[in-house]
Amino acid sequence: MDELFEVVVIGGGHAGCEAASASARLGARTAMITINLDLIGQMSCNPAIGGIAKGHLVREIDALGGIMGRVIDRTGIQFRLLNRSRGPAVQSPRAQADRSLYRKEMRATLEATPNLQLRQGMVVDIITKGSTVIGVEMQDGRRIGARAIVVATGTFLNGLIHTGRRQYSAGRAGEPASQELAAALRRLGFKVGRLKTGTPPRIDGRTIDWDRFEPQPPDESPVPFSFSTDRLEQKQLNCYIGYTTERVHDTILANLSESPLYSGKIRGVGPRYCPSIEDKVVKFRDKNRHQLFLEPEGHATNEVYLNGFSTSLPAELQRELVQMIPGLAEARIIRPGYAIEYDFVDPRELRPDLQTQAIKGLFHAGQINGTTGYEEAACQGLLAGINAALSVSGRAAFRLERSESYIGVLATDLISHGVDEPYRMFTSRSEHRLALRHDNADERLRPLGRELGLVGDSDWERFHSRRSRICRVKGALQRQIRRSDKEYAAIAGHLGVSDLGDSITLEGVSKRPGAPRSLIEALLPEQIKSEVTAADVDSALADALYSGYLKAQAVNRGRLERHDSLRVPIDLAFGSLSGLSHEMVERLERARPRTFGEAKRIPGLTAAALSTLLVSISAAAGAKAGG
Amino acid sequence: MSTIVAPATTVGRSAVGIIRLSGPDSLSIARGLIGADFEPQHRSVVFRALRDPKSNELLDRALVTYFRAPNSFTGEDVVEISCHGSPIVIRQIIDFTIYLGADFAEPGEFTLRALANGKMNLSQAEAIRDLVEARSKSAAQQAVRQLSGELSSALAPLKERLLESIVVLESALEFEEDDLPPVQIDDVRARLELVRSGVEKLAATFSAGHLLSSGLKAAIVGRPNVGKSSIFNALVGLDRAIVTELPGTTRDCIAEQISVGEIPISLTDTAGLRAAYDPIETLGIERTRAAMADADIVILVLDGSCELTSEDEETLRSVSNSTRAVVINKADLPSYRNPMVGRAGRIQQGIKVSALTGEGLDEVRTAILAPFEVTTSDGAGLLVTNARHHELLSRATSLVRSSVALLGIESEEIVLVGLHDALRLLGEITGETTAEDILSKIFGTFCIGK
Repeated sequence: MDELFEVVVIGGGHAGCEAASASARLGARTAMITINLDLIGQMSCNPAIGGIAKGHLVREIDALGGIMGRVIDRTGIQFRLLNRSRGPAVQSPRAQADRSLYRKEMRATLEATPNLQLRQGMVVDIITKGSTVIGVEMQDGRRIGARAIVVATGTFLNGLIHTGRRQYSAGRAGEPASQELAAALRRLGFKVGRLKTGTPPRIDGRTIDWDRFEPQPPDESPVPFSFSTDRLEQKQLNCYIGYTTERVHDTILANLSESPLYSGKIRGVGPRYCPSIEDKVVKFRDKNRHQLFLEPEGHATNEVYLNGFSTSLPAELQRELVQMIPGLAEARIIRPGYAIEYDFVDPRELRPDLQTQAIKGLFHAGQINGTTGYEEAACQGLLAGINAALSVSGRAAFRLERSESYIGVLATDLISHGVDEPYRMFTSRSEHRLALRHDNADERLRPLGRELGLVGDSDWERFHSRRSRICRVKGALQRQIRRSDKEYAAIAGHLGVSDLGDSITLEGVSKRPGAPRSLIEALLPEQIKSEVTAADVDSALADALYSGYLKAQAVNRGRLERHDSLRVPIDLAFGSLSGLSHEMVERLERARPRTFGEAKRIPGLTAAALSTLLVSISAAAGAKAGG
Repeated sequence: MSTIVAPATTVGRSAVGIIRLSGPDSLSIARGLIGADFEPQHRSVVFRALRDPKSNELLDRALVTYFRAPNSFTGEDVVEISCHGSPIVIRQIIDFTIYLGADFAEPGEFTLRALANGKMNLSQAEAIRDLVEARSKSAAQQAVRQLSGELSSALAPLKERLLESIVVLESALEFEEDDLPPVQIDDVRARLELVRSGVEKLAATFSAGHLLSSGLKAAIVGRPNVGKSSIFNALVGLDRAIVTELPGTTRDCIAEQISVGEIPISLTDTAGLRAAYDPIETLGIERTRAAMADADIVILVLDGSCELTSEDEETLRSVSNSTRAVVINKADLPSYRNPMVGRAGRIQQGIKVSALTGEGLDEVRTAILAPFEVTTSDGAGLLVTNARHHELLSRATSLVRSSVALLGIESEEIVLVGLHDALRLLGEITGETTAEDILSKIFGTFCIGK
C-alpha cells in the first residue's frame, strides 16, 4: 500500500464531506479522495440548501456536530423560513447559496480539520480480503489502505448524461463518470439499479429583463441553520418568480420525441417531485402555466439558475423555449439543462449503521443509496462517517431512531423498504412530525453529538444556555392573569374577545387564535425579557402548543402498541411459523427479538410478517394463561 | 414452508368427510397415498383409491380435488380428499399424510395462510368465523356479506374521501413553494363531514348487528311455583324443564336457545328465589342471581291467581332498575286477576299469560325484543356485527369529528394527526395499511416540482 489510513471516504460531495469531517474529528486517520479537489462541496443542480423537511435534516446534522449548517450560514444569500403561516413543527429554513463560495467554504472547513487528508484521484476498485475491506485502488496505480471505506460517489457511478439525442458518459457536466468503481461494486455482488435526475439550464443574468418578474425577497429576520451561528454574514438578495406560457407547452409537446425521457432512451427512474418540464407539461396539460424561479448563483457571477425548468431536450430547443418565457426573450443560456442516469445500490443491503451486510468495513452514503438531495446525502454521510470511525476503534455502532430525528426516519426507511424512485424527505414520512421540529433539533440531538465527541465545549455551553433560557420562558408561561389584573383587558382587546374566563395563563393566551409572539413577550417578566431571544420564546411556545396533542397521540399510540411487551418465547423456531417467507425468518433469526416491540424495530420485517409473529406469540401467551 | 393437513369437516359419523392439505408438498404427499403417477389437472376432481403407503392396503376410495397455487383457498397447492365420513378412515388418512411429511394444522392455520398470501383481508377472515358460528339466518346473511367484501366496499368510499382530504392538507404544508391552488377549508370540512357521518352510520348499525350475531340473554325469574319452567317450556316449545306442583322443583339454571324474529335468544330458567331450605336449593338460588346479573333482559313471572307476596315484592324491587318484562301467569285459572293494580312502586304493568293455553306468549316474545329497538329484517342494510369493528368505527368517528373542529383554527399538521389515526383505524378493520398511498395520491393530483 502506498498510504495507510483508518478511514477512506470516496467522493467529495455533500455526503463525502460530512463523512470525512466526522470521521476525522472522532479521531480516525481519514482521507477523502475525490476526482477533482476544486469541486469539493459542489452543488450539482439547485444552488440551495434546505426546504420543507430538508431544512429539518440540516439542523439535525448541525445539532449532532456536522458541518453543512455552518457552511450554508456563511455562504447563504437568501434565507427564508418556509411555512411561516403554519405551525412551528412544519416550518423549515431554506437558503440560496453562493455556489462558488459554498465550495470554497466547505473546502476550507475540511482543510482545517485535524486528522483529515485530502487526495485527488479516481478510485477504480475496492480491495478486499475475504469479505473485509483493506483498501482502494486508484486509476493512477496508487493503492491506499483503509480499515473502513465510505462510498459517497453521488451520481458518478456509470453516470450517463442525456441532452436531446446525444448521450455521453459523465458524473456531472464536465466531469468524468466512475465506471470501474461501478463495475467493482457489481463484482462484489451488490444489487445495482438505475435512477435518474435532471437539472435546468443556467442563464446569463445580464440578458434577463428582471422587471418582468416578481421579486421574492429574503426574510427580514432570517433563521440560521446552525445552532452555533450568531449572525449571517452574506449580503442578501432577491429571487424572482416567473411562469411558462402555453406556447412553451405546445412547443414541448410538439417535440417530445426529442426528449430522451419520452423516447425511452433513459432507463433510470426519476423522482416524482422534481420532474422535468416535459413531465409537467405532459402530465398536467390543463395547467396553462408552470411556475419558475430565477435564482442568482452568487454576487460575483452572472449565472442564474432557472428552477422549475429541469429538461433534457436538445440544447438548441432549450434556447428557443427559454426565449418564449416572458422576460427571457433575449436570454442566453450559459449551461444547458440535462438528464443524468446513474447506478445505485439497493439500500436494503445495509445495516442501520449504513455498513453493507456483505462486506465488513464498507459503508454506503448518499445518492448511491437511492436518495436525492444534498441534505439527504449529507445526513447519511454523517451517519456513515461516524460509524466508520466507531468501527475502526472497536466502539459500538451509532444509530438513530425514527422517533428522535428525520435522519432516523430516512435511514430506517431506506433499510426497511428500499427505494423505487429517488428518495426525498417529506415531513409526512414521520409519524412523529409534531415532536420533530427544526428548532428542537438541538434538544433531541446535541447530547448524542456530545457523547460521540462531535460537539465541542463552546457549542455545548451554548446549548445549555439556550435550553435553560427556554425553560425559564416555559416557567414564566404559567403565570396567571386574573380578571382583576391590569393586563387582562389589554390582552382581551388584542385578541378581539371580551372574556377570557376568570383567569388565564400566558400559555393559554399563546394558544388563542391570532395571539402574536410580541404579545407574549411583552407580558414576560423584565428579567427574562432581557435575557432571552425571540428564538427561545418561539421554542418555548412551540413546546406548549404541541404538548397536549403529543400526550393524546402517545395515548393513542399506546393502544396501538399494547402488544409491545409480549414476550417472544426463547425457543421459538421462526422457521416453523406458518406464512413467514425465508427472508423474514432470516431477519428474525439474526435479530433474535425478545419481545414483540423489539421485533417491530427489525429493519425489513413486513407488516404481514409482524402480524404472523403476533398471532403465534399471542396464541402462546393465551394458551399459557388459559392453562 | 411446511405442508399442513386437517379435517375440514367435523369429525363424527357422516357420509362424507373432507381432509384438506395445503402447502408445497401437498401433491407429493397425495401421491404417497394414491400412487406416483397421480398427475391431476388444476381444479379437477377424480375418483381414486387411497392406500397405506407401507403395506399398500386399501384405506378408502375417495374423490380427490386439486387446486394449483396460487388459485386455491390458501394460495398454496391444495389437495382435498373427500372420503367416507368414518372417523376411523379420516384418522387413518390423516395419520398417513403426517407419516408422509405433513404437519397437523393449528386452529385457523389455513385461514392464516390465506391471509398471509393475500387471498383475503382480515375482515373477510373474521367473516368466515362468523359464518361458521352464525346462529340465525340473518346472522349468516351478514357474515356472507362481510365475506364477500361488503364491509370493505362500504368502507372504501369513506376511506377514499378521507384520503383525499388528507392529500389536500398534506400538499398544502409540504409543497408551500409550489404553485398549488389554495386550500378551500370549507370544501375540506364538507368532505370530512361526509366521512364522519358515513362512518358514524356504519358504527350505529352495530346495536342491531350485535344482537343478530351474539343474540340476547334472557333470564326467567320469580318466586317458587309461579310457573317459570312452564313458561320456559312453552317459549322453547319442548318439555325441557321439569315441572311439578312442588315449589322449589327447579334447582339449577337451564339455558336453551330460541329465536324471536331473527334474533337468537339464550333463555335461562332459574331456581325460584326464596330463602332456601337445603344446600342444593341455595346453590340454585345463587345461580339465579348470577343469571339475572348476566342477562340483557329479566323476565319476571308473577302468579296472577293470588296476591303479591313479600318475595314477589322483593323480586320486583330487585328488577326495578333492570331491563325487564313482567309476566302475570296462570290466566287459565278462574281466580286470575292482575295483582299489580293499585300497587305502589315503579312497576305497574304486566302481560297476561297462560303457559298452559299459550295465551299471551307472543306478547312476551315481542316484549323481550322491545327494549332493544331492533329494526331487523329490512334486509337491505349492512350491519356491523363485530365488536372489534364497532370499536374501530366509533374511535374513527370521534377522531374525524375532533379534527374537523380544529380545521381553520390550528395549523394543518395538528388537524392531520387525527385524520391519519382515523385512516389507520379504518384500515385495521380489513387489516390494510396505507402509508405510501398518500404520497402517490399527492403526485397524481398536483403538479409538484421545483
